[in-house]
Amino acid sequence: MSSPSIIHRAQKKRASKLQAGTVLSFTVLAHPPARFGKRPRQIGLIQLEDGSSVLAPLLAERPFIGQRVHARMRLSHVTEEKLRVYEVSYEALSEVPAIMEKTFPGYILALTGPSGVGKTTVSRMLVQMFSDVAVNVPIVTTRKEKPGDEGEYVYAPTTEFDEWKRGGLLVAATDIPSRGEHRQYGYRRADFEAIWKEGKLPVVITEMHLLKDLANTFGRRSILSFGLLPPGKSKRAKLSQLLHRLRKRGRETEAHIQDRLKNAERDLAFFKERSDLFDHVVVNKDLNVVIRSMQKRIPGLSQA
Amino acid sequence: MEKDIFLVGQGLTRFGEHWDRSLLNLMDEATEAALKNSGLNALDVDLVIVANMLGERTNNQAHLGALASALLPHHPPALRIESACGSGAMALHTAAAYLESKRAETVLVIGVEKMTDVSVDEVSAALMGAADSELDAPSGLTFPGIFGLITQRYMHEYGLTREQLSLVSAVHHRQGKENPFAQFRFDVSPEKVTASPMVADPLRLLDCSPVSDGAAVCILSTTHRSELRLAASQIASDSVSITERASITSFSATRDAMQRALKEAEIDREEIRALETHDCFSMAAIINMEDLGFAEPGEGISVYERIHAGDYPTFVNKSGGLKSCGHPVAATGIKQMIDIAKQLGASKEQYGLAHNFGGACASCGIHILENLDASS
Repeated sequence: MSSPSIIHRAQKKRASKLQAGTVLSFTVLAHPPARFGKRPRQIGLIQLEDGSSVLAPLLAERPFIGQRVHARMRLSHVTEEKLRVYEVSYEALSEVPAIMEKTFPGYILALTGPSGVGKTTVSRMLVQMFSDVAVNVPIVTTRKEKPGDEGEYVYAPTTEFDEWKRGGLLVAATDIPSRGEHRQYGYRRADFEAIWKEGKLPVVITEMHLLKDLANTFGRRSILSFGLLPPGKSKRAKLSQLLHRLRKRGRETEAHIQDRLKNAERDLAFFKERSDLFDHVVVNKDLNVVIRSMQKRIPGLSQA
Repeated sequence: MEKDIFLVGQGLTRFGEHWDRSLLNLMDEATEAALKNSGLNALDVDLVIVANMLGERTNNQAHLGALASALLPHHPPALRIESACGSGAMALHTAAAYLESKRAETVLVIGVEKMTDVSVDEVSAALMGAADSELDAPSGLTFPGIFGLITQRYMHEYGLTREQLSLVSAVHHRQGKENPFAQFRFDVSPEKVTASPMVADPLRLLDCSPVSDGAAVCILSTTHRSELRLAASQIASDSVSITERASITSFSATRDAMQRALKEAEIDREEIRALETHDCFSMAAIINMEDLGFAEPGEGISVYERIHAGDYPTFVNKSGGLKSCGHPVAATGIKQMIDIAKQLGASKEQYGLAHNFGGACASCGIHILENLDASS
């Protein structure tokens, strides 16, 4: 089964299978064949647009039958002969059944980017400049208060956070790995609803999980999603910019900074993997330029 | 049938993990039991047919026909049949064709599988040989995965719940408890099925038939007679890959073979009073009830709900099915025939049916036995 010629023929056929499709069924193998590693493997039976069906890995956090998916090439495994085998997988376009998107609660302005890129600064400036339109949504966190926090957080003990999560009071939640501390972050539904009630635009700072959760809860089209990237042509240049900024702001220990950098690397990859979750990607080289370019793209602010 | 074919002898090893015995040892034990049971002389056998799926991969052994022939003193002509988990039924069907054409008069049909000689990973990969190696396997799918997809889809289409599905294995275990040849002779509650480890969502460990060793032998003859006559032998096929099927919640090979078998036996479905069906996974048993016509589409579970509640004549997988008996793949189809013979002998009912399939029912064989000693 791992014979290179069989793999080659299978791949050749797959080239014609690079199409969008619909999930007919899906399963998760607790113990996939050894060559695919030890992690559970989710596989979908996908009906493609040309009417044919394929079996392939399904990349979806909440798969359901009828879900729309698009094809994506990715590395499957490396054989004993060091042959790198690529495969066509299918990735969910929308994580929410269409039927749930019928209600449109209102717009959310989301800022996503790696640690140190300046999300907080940008959001604070936007809210200060356009205070009659934009309001920051407080982030609920289980982490301890730190000098340098400026009122953007609501602090909650882990037990309370979990209780809110279970009770459905949180519309988005994430764990951010960090040594020594179990850090959870989230947003409460009530905070969004209060802001919408005032007729204003909620502004949130997110990372990949929070953004996905918000898109799942409110629907992708409720979110005007901005990605913020550090300047720099290569990944290395971008990361070194972030490192510089994180050190300069002096809020954290070197160990925490290293953790954040690791997360940042993943965040940068997320921009490419889930480009469908971003409406605009802005490079934060000059704060004024960023604000001006965002202002042009946010309907409520362009006249202000 | 063109000729009257009788089941004149039967032999079985217990299904299970036989670490100390080889593929050949298992064939030998079942053959000896069958010859003894038939009362025939070994020299009466003029053809040997061996059903086996995995010999090359799990036992480094091909050429099973000649190997089995050497078990008899006169080395009769022999051949091997492979049709994945449906090999047993295909071997019986081939035997029937030889007998009908008068190329043979007494055929020894052996089903054998020795699966515990290799690791579970290797068995799992070998079993994927029953699926399409270029359309199904490259995705990383395993057989439990294929039935996981089928179950997920079935639940979506018909609203079957996890709790309902768990009744199937519970019923099979309860019925297999009394079977001395079964691999697992103990009760399993539906709750335990639901709580067993996940294998291929939504299928759990106790939804799956086990990996087993075992052999089963039937002797079919046109010259020697018994009270058990073969009333029908039919096979049918479907696409090997589930990607090439219009529906994955119903198996057309079962429907085709069933329709032809009832016609050949000239009986109605309701006359079947003993049924052994291919429950490689609990989901398969439910789909089989529908395709065999014992329930409407989407309502196959009702048969098991009624058996579980105790208000249904228990004629479905009375042996315990593949779940409780074990599933040495190519031996299963022959074993089912033996179970039907035993059940008809005990109940004095007239007709019994064995339903055996390969892969995700890409090949299916159905045999109907008539008990000439029936009380009716």
